[in-house]
Amino acid sequence: MSRPYILLIEDNADDIDLTRRAFEKNHIANDVVIMRDGAQASEFLFGEQRANGYPALILLDLNLPKVSGLEVLQRIRASEATRLLPTVILTSSKQEEDLVQGYRLGVNSYVRKPVDFNEFVEAVRQVGLYWLVLNEPPPTAGGGGM
Amino acid sequence: MADAALRPDLSLVLERITDGFFALDAQWRISYMNAQARKLLHARQDIIGEFWLDAFPKARGRLFEREYHRAMRDQRPVQFVEYSETAELWFEVKAYPSPDGLSVYFRDVTSRIEAQREVERTTRRQQALIDFGRAALAGATYDQTLLDAIELLREILDANVIDLYQYDRSSGAFAVVHSMGWESGAVVDPAAPPLEHLDYVVRTGEPFVCSDLRIDPRARSLRALEHCGVLSCVATLIGTVHAPQGAIVTYHLRTRTFSVGDVRFVQSLSQSIAEFSSAVESNRLMSEVLESINDAFVALDGDLHITYVNHRMAEFWGLSAAAMVGTPLSAYTARFDSEDSRALNFFKEALRDRRALTFEHFYRGRWHEIRLYPFGGGVAGYVRDITARRTEQERVLELNAELERRVDERTKQLEIANKELESFSYSVSHDLRAPLRAIDGFSQAFLEDYGDGLDRRAQGYLDRVRRAAQRMADLIDALLQLAKVARAPMAHVPVDLSALAAAVAADLGESDPRRMVEVTIQPGLEASGEPHLIQIVVANLLGNAWKFTRHTEHPQVWVGKNSEGEFYVRDNGAGFDMSYASKLFGAFARLHSADEYEGTGIGLATVARIIHRHGGNIRAEGAVGQGATFYFTL
Repeated sequence: MSRPYILLIEDNADDIDLTRRAFEKNHIANDVVIMRDGAQASEFLFGEQRANGYPALILLDLNLPKVSGLEVLQRIRASEATRLLPTVILTSSKQEEDLVQGYRLGVNSYVRKPVDFNEFVEAVRQVGLYWLVLNEPPPTAGGGGM
Repeated sequence: MADAALRPDLSLVLERITDGFFALDAQWRISYMNAQARKLLHARQDIIGEFWLDAFPKARGRLFEREYHRAMRDQRPVQFVEYSETAELWFEVKAYPSPDGLSVYFRDVTSRIEAQREVERTTRRQQALIDFGRAALAGATYDQTLLDAIELLREILDANVIDLYQYDRSSGAFAVVHSMGWESGAVVDPAAPPLEHLDYVVRTGEPFVCSDLRIDPRARSLRALEHCGVLSCVATLIGTVHAPQGAIVTYHLRTRTFSVGDVRFVQSLSQSIAEFSSAVESNRLMSEVLESINDAFVALDGDLHITYVNHRMAEFWGLSAAAMVGTPLSAYTARFDSEDSRALNFFKEALRDRRALTFEHFYRGRWHEIRLYPFGGGVAGYVRDITARRTEQERVLELNAELERRVDERTKQLEIANKELESFSYSVSHDLRAPLRAIDGFSQAFLEDYGDGLDRRAQGYLDRVRRAAQRMADLIDALLQLAKVARAPMAHVPVDLSALAAAVAADLGESDPRRMVEVTIQPGLEASGEPHLIQIVVANLLGNAWKFTRHTEHPQVWVGKNSEGEFYVRDNGAGFDMSYASKLFGAFARLHSADEYEGTGIGLATVARIIHRHGGNIRAEGAVGQGATFYFTL
């Protein structure tokens, strides 16, 4: 896998499809790897069988089965290899606790998924534009070719 | 020197001195006597040469005889004071012996001696009065006290006969209650005494003093007493003219003058008896009260000896009241206090500090409340069985503890419920939105991908699906806020309401620049509360005002404070029907259709909840088409 890819950690099939659709509508052509729960995502990022390079952007839902989004975030930031990866929480929750906890654990952005699809598309567009295009990634992260 | 042949010059000196002087020869014959001595001793002219005890037989056996003999025997001068019955005077005598005889100088010291004796009598009278009062206070019976008084009168006044009378108010007559000293067979009947002196004392309140009833014009009928040997008397009133209680009369078998001190003594005694009598009366009343109360009662003197117990106290100890009086308190507290001296110490403290105090004590399986009051020189104690009250108290305490435990339990349950509610809110916030987003998103996708094949009506339906989804998302957010407001932590800090309202108004203006709403905010509005929550209040109220003036030609909004101190937000918008005013603040309550004015119906419920959490109130006034005013306090 040579092109920078996006890791979407999301359990809801509808949200997965809608997010994909939002990427397409915004002409974000990066590959999207989808992990359906926190345990799977951890295995993908830290497991023995890990074969891929690190993603250019992680989109992380919070309310996940098995291992919660915040736990996944904590592991990402705890591991030397992944701690600099741009990680954005993309969730329905705007609970203050989640916000505080997310930022405390070192998330790069916290975006609430709007119900209105047009707004959702706009949000995904801005996130993709910012983190994949405008933002210069850290030297070791998401460079591909690993 | 004892010879009659005194030198003329010496004789001259002796005739001039103011002392009486006489000389006796070795055979105790009078050899010389100066004029002063003759005068004092009523001596005959031819006394010279007479044996002195023949001349003055009344000196026999007295100090005069004994001392003169001692002086001659020892050949040493003597000096003494003695009453001379010959002269009826007190003499201070100095006698100088020589082998030839005795020279005797003497002077009249009667007034000095009388004064001394009067001082002694006064002291004795005062002491007697004090003793009498003390005995009365110590709880002697009234009768005993009267007998004591009689004894005192006999002793101090040398009275031969003493009558004590009681005044009967209804008949206005005196009756003898105590009589002492009349010879048996006396001609005067004590039950029908002569009344002149009694009339006098009851009429004037003054003592009746008669030194010689044979010559006293006030004592004509009293002269009958002469047959019994009575020659003088003193009568005093017990009590006052207004409230006579009785009289004391002393009769004497000789004429005598009564000193002021004597009379005062009888008066004081009368007064003491009167006081004692009043005390007896009030004691009787007091005793009636004390016997009728439910408390056990004990009165103690300054040494904590019992002076009175009521029957309940006596029953408590299984003794008679009489057996307890006079015994020390410690005999009872020794049993009352199981180990320490707790109860006894409370009594001592009340006595020492002269203050009332109350303590509770457990004895023989029951609780007692003991109230102590200092009185007079002692302490009075009331003992009440409070076992029932204590049991009740303990039950209340147990109930309280039980209640507290339940409250704790409920609080824990409530905390769990709150936690559950929080996770529920979380689920609502997160999980309910996801399907809504799917509804909206796929409706949009459907429109985009297949819209070309749909007619306008089908597209309209999909639009309505999307609007409904959006509305539900808004409702969810509003409900979450309402729930959050109830649990939000509270601070009370000063809030500049004017500035807050201005900021909210500015936001509203920016969100809808096409609207021209005239906003008037009274400056300097200050409130106290949680700023974040007050922000929600102002945002909701101003938001409503904004919304409901949408169809008003010149929309106006006022923010201020009325004379009653209520803040208000007023608009000239659609208003509302006052008959629905009570529904305004309920969740989901709406007075307008969603088509007319959008809204969740939760905003005012949230506002009311915030206001109530601040301890304030909110109310609304309005009329359809004439605007609305929301008043609130914080």
